[in-house]
Amino acid sequence: MSERVINILVSSFPRILGQGLLVTIPLTVISFSLALIIAVACAMVQIANVRGLRQVVRFYIWVVRGTPLLVQLYLVYFGLPDLGLVLPAFPCAVAVFALNEGAYCAETVRAAIEAVPKGQMEAGYCVGMSYGQIMRRIVLPQAFRTAFPPLSNSLISMVKDTSLAANITVTEMFMATQRAAGRTYEHMALYIEVALIYLLFCTVITWLQRWGEKRLNAMNGGDVIRA
Amino acid sequence: MLEIHGLRKSFDGNEILKGVDLAVDKGDVLAVLGPSGGGKTTLLRCMNYLERPDAGQMTFLGKTVDMATMSRRDIAAYRRHTGFVFQSYNLFSNKTALQNVTEGLIVARKMPKHEAEERAMAALERVGLADKRDAYPAHLSGGQQQRVAIARAVAGQPDIIYFDEPTSALDPELIGGVLDAIQQLAEDGMTMIVVTHEIHFARHVSTKVLFMEEGKALVTAPTAAFFEEQKLERVQTFLRSLDRKDE
Repeated sequence: MSERVINILVSSFPRILGQGLLVTIPLTVISFSLALIIAVACAMVQIANVRGLRQVVRFYIWVVRGTPLLVQLYLVYFGLPDLGLVLPAFPCAVAVFALNEGAYCAETVRAAIEAVPKGQMEAGYCVGMSYGQIMRRIVLPQAFRTAFPPLSNSLISMVKDTSLAANITVTEMFMATQRAAGRTYEHMALYIEVALIYLLFCTVITWLQRWGEKRLNAMNGGDVIRA
Repeated sequence: MLEIHGLRKSFDGNEILKGVDLAVDKGDVLAVLGPSGGGKTTLLRCMNYLERPDAGQMTFLGKTVDMATMSRRDIAAYRRHTGFVFQSYNLFSNKTALQNVTEGLIVARKMPKHEAEERAMAALERVGLADKRDAYPAHLSGGQQQRVAIARAVAGQPDIIYFDEPTSALDPELIGGVLDAIQQLAEDGMTMIVVTHEIHFARHVSTKVLFMEEGKALVTAPTAAFFEEQKLERVQTFLRSLDRKDE
């Protein structure tokens, strides 16, 4: 590697990583938190079979899962202004990522709730608890343990998918790299550099996942599936 | 204390309970016997509204209600007077043994935590599991889980406890401890309805027997009379078939 390339890598590193810490990670954390709220709400509507709302939720999941994320970003950022709704790029990205991931996670959460044995609900009723109490204290904690690994998967996907936000002018990590590459023409080196930073972020999440699973196992008495 | 009249329940047009009557007094232990598929479990589940009856009247502690239309609030209030023990234990798997017992007391009955724990420990002691208070269900044997479930049912100080085949899921060597715990309750005067296949238990612990077949209460009789004087051919063949299995 020439000295020039090394200099470019070194000088661009703080700028790329900076955008990662200042934009990519906040974008991911905010969007994913909202996605989780959407997911639990949608799953509960389906489980409790709330009439009317259930159809709305199915429709939302159907549309979001059936269209590309990139198209959704364009629709909201470039399309909505045609209807007079102009949003800054960052909130646009948050909205799209949250709604998109929310639809996928809703299915994960629903499946996890359905995997909790029916007897848990019945036992709760028999000691006098209400539906809401049983859900909150018995069913959801158990479902969360089941949903945790696939939700971690979704989070890892989202970290990388935020690079699509570069297309709607969000200056996150990938766009910072594109700019550096445009200036220096060192595409190979710079894209490897940003790839390694994404890999680093995802590695940290993987560690967190392992740690979280251990803690959840302890809180759930060791086993997910009872004898 | 508890009377049921004309209890009916169908699933998809298939009538499982065809108008069942029963009555228990305070301190009674009613054993519900009969062949599989006769509606015993459905009867018990209807009595605690885990299944909604299609028809029937229930008189409980002097109050009569229509079982098919009873409101959710009334059902919740009624359940606080009852305990239920499942065939498959159904302990909350994210809670320790102690928390399993206190959960209903603290959350549903709004009992202060220390009081609930005191009562729960007394109940666990009663079934011989005080030392397992911090164990999660996954780390308890089936028999221990069922005894915790009994403690959970007892801790609410119910007027009646329903047992749905409490030993059917257990290994033979674990059955004794669970039956002992139930017998102890009977000796303390707890009113209970026990769906069971344990004929010795029914003979020695129950005060009354209800024999069910094809959704009907074929015979209701005091235990001694049921086993000694019952002449009905169907009951005779059922008892003989169980005897053969036992020996």
